[in-house]
Amino acid sequence: MKTICLKGGRIIDPSTEKDEKGDLYFYDDKIISPKDAKNIEVIDVTGKIIFPGLVDLRCHINDLSGGNCENIFSVTRAAAAGGYSTIVLMPNLNPIPDNPATIQFIKDQIKRDACINVKLTGCLTKGSNGKALAPLGSLKNAGVVAITDSPLSPQDNQIFCKAVEYASMFDLPVIDLPRDLSLSENGNAHDGPSALKMGLGGYPRIAEELFVQRAISIARSLNTRVHLSSISSFASVDLIKEAKNRNVMITADVSPQHLALTETKILNYDTNFKTTPPLREEVDRKYLIDGLMDGTIDCISTAHEPIKEYEKNIEYDLAPTGVTSLETAFNISLQQLSKHQKFTWVNLLKFMSLRPSEIINVEGGELRVGSTANIVIFDPLKKWKYHPSKSKSRAFNTPFNNEEFHGKVSQIYLNGKAI
Amino acid sequence: MEIPKWKTKNLLGIESLSKFEIRKILTLAKKLKHEPAKNKSYLAGKSIVNLFMEPSTRTRIAFELAAKTLHADVISIAEKSSSLTKGETLRDTALNIQALGADAIVLRHSSPGSPLLLSRIIDVPIINAGDGAHEHPSQALLDVYTLEEKIGPLDGKKITILGDILFSRVARSNFWALSKMGAKVTLAGPSTLVPKSFESMGAIVSHDLKESLADADAVMLLRIQHERQSSSHFPSLEEYTRIFGLNKYRSKWLKKDAVILHPGPINRGVEIDSELADSGNSVILDQVTNGVAVRMAILCLCTLSYNK
Repeated sequence: MKTICLKGGRIIDPSTEKDEKGDLYFYDDKIISPKDAKNIEVIDVTGKIIFPGLVDLRCHINDLSGGNCENIFSVTRAAAAGGYSTIVLMPNLNPIPDNPATIQFIKDQIKRDACINVKLTGCLTKGSNGKALAPLGSLKNAGVVAITDSPLSPQDNQIFCKAVEYASMFDLPVIDLPRDLSLSENGNAHDGPSALKMGLGGYPRIAEELFVQRAISIARSLNTRVHLSSISSFASVDLIKEAKNRNVMITADVSPQHLALTETKILNYDTNFKTTPPLREEVDRKYLIDGLMDGTIDCISTAHEPIKEYEKNIEYDLAPTGVTSLETAFNISLQQLSKHQKFTWVNLLKFMSLRPSEIINVEGGELRVGSTANIVIFDPLKKWKYHPSKSKSRAFNTPFNNEEFHGKVSQIYLNGKAI
Repeated sequence: MEIPKWKTKNLLGIESLSKFEIRKILTLAKKLKHEPAKNKSYLAGKSIVNLFMEPSTRTRIAFELAAKTLHADVISIAEKSSSLTKGETLRDTALNIQALGADAIVLRHSSPGSPLLLSRIIDVPIINAGDGAHEHPSQALLDVYTLEEKIGPLDGKKITILGDILFSRVARSNFWALSKMGAKVTLAGPSTLVPKSFESMGAIVSHDLKESLADADAVMLLRIQHERQSSSHFPSLEEYTRIFGLNKYRSKWLKKDAVILHPGPINRGVEIDSELADSGNSVILDQVTNGVAVRMAILCLCTLSYNK
């Protein structure tokens, strides 16, 4: 076996905050020191950017069998194309992972079909129906990295509170997509100017903010951690910032869609802009970007949610929420954040690889000697257009159809092997 | 009479129409209203399909009568008698109606934007007969027609729309139509049904009945759909009547010759006093009559602009 040397690239390691030109050596599945390198195969990556594989904390595939839509085979190829070496699957799968046997069943499928690391979450409540706790300890033993009912949120405060308390015993992260259903039951759009004209609405900011506050109060009183998934409201950012100032163990992520788009996009009733939570207003978008940059929001999750074309392209209020995102997430995030005065590549890679790994306690986000060789080669000069029909994902529900991007993932190594 | 050219085969809403286009429809409606019946064979040989996925009396009958007066063949389909109850999607139903050779589809549906969705999929003209809380363009056009007939040009007139605005397609379409024609439109009612955010559309919002009715040239009442909203939006019909119901005493706040409109169906004794609904100021039945003429104009313009 040969040692591979990626020569002359710009290497970004968020774990050491290094951003410098250099050569990266890896042998088998590990990054090694140049002095240990023998039998070297040199790959010239001059002009390219080298960084650790991305990690996604919110990925849905809905149906394990896939049917004519996404499955583990296709979602991992789409993720790899987007620069991801690890994705975390949300539990709204069929079958639903609320017991160890199902976890094992899904793990077998992953072993057979996945080309990158796929981590599993277990349900927080049985069947994700919010009524009774799922067997969290057994799920942990079966190998889940976190528990959540995403894209749902347990409405019963007692259940949620006890779940967080119980999970803390196993050091098992709890992820919540904050949404008070009593305020957003039929919500299909943000209660903003666009939805008002269109006769839609019903998912106001406060439906999120109340549950953000719930998570903060619980994390604070139990002195344990809770992760908030896909924050969308500007006031949520303020709540989290204040909580972090008090050292409450709260973490949060945001989707690239919410960094890039606002509610005016839905004006043509295009269901490819129907997301959970909904796209909100420019003030929210600005707060979310600033929130990332000042450390209030920890990371970026794709919220990838593939949906069959004939299920998505229907009446707006009846259409399911969700958009595909794995193959565009990095470019969209780069495009949106690079305009910010505090932008650095180290920061971007913290948001998309290091912080998500830390939140779920898995390896990632580092290119140090001894780290697993999950490496992305990114060509910053390559121009390309995103066409869902040519993508690795089997779903077409993208809000970025035909979007032109600058820079493309040109290669990804998982455990030292090119995918 | 020659039917004027129309830029698009669809009528999806009022928001996208110009004042000039609204005038074009109304002018044609007026001509058609006064034209002898035997001359009105503009749509002879055409098939109009009324696809009504929500209950309707006035709108459906008015579209049927309008089409029949124009010598078109009319087929009306209600949700319960269609294959949508067998799980067929709206788009498949519409594709089938197109394949069967229809010349226009009049659609009433509970989903906002559903006429736009169909217009992207099929070539046959789509006429929106009410889509959720979005728009009800033919209603707004017949309201403008009736108002102009009764109080003259609308430029500078104060017109108040009172009631459940939030869930009302009639309110939205009328707001666009009336303001395009130059009227000053006030949206009035309880704060939960008339949120301040309507100001983002350019409307005046009022939660004070007296202020909103003062010196109005016309008031349009909307039915309170208590069965539709959860009881969280207002406490009871009795309370609504007490605070926002229009009665004889309160009607004195309006201008002397102000007219009262209502798209129907009315709830006597709730949003409007029974006596007032039958009074000389009420133009509720004129609205219904004019609805046929306005829909004739719409059917002519849309259907004839479409070449298969």
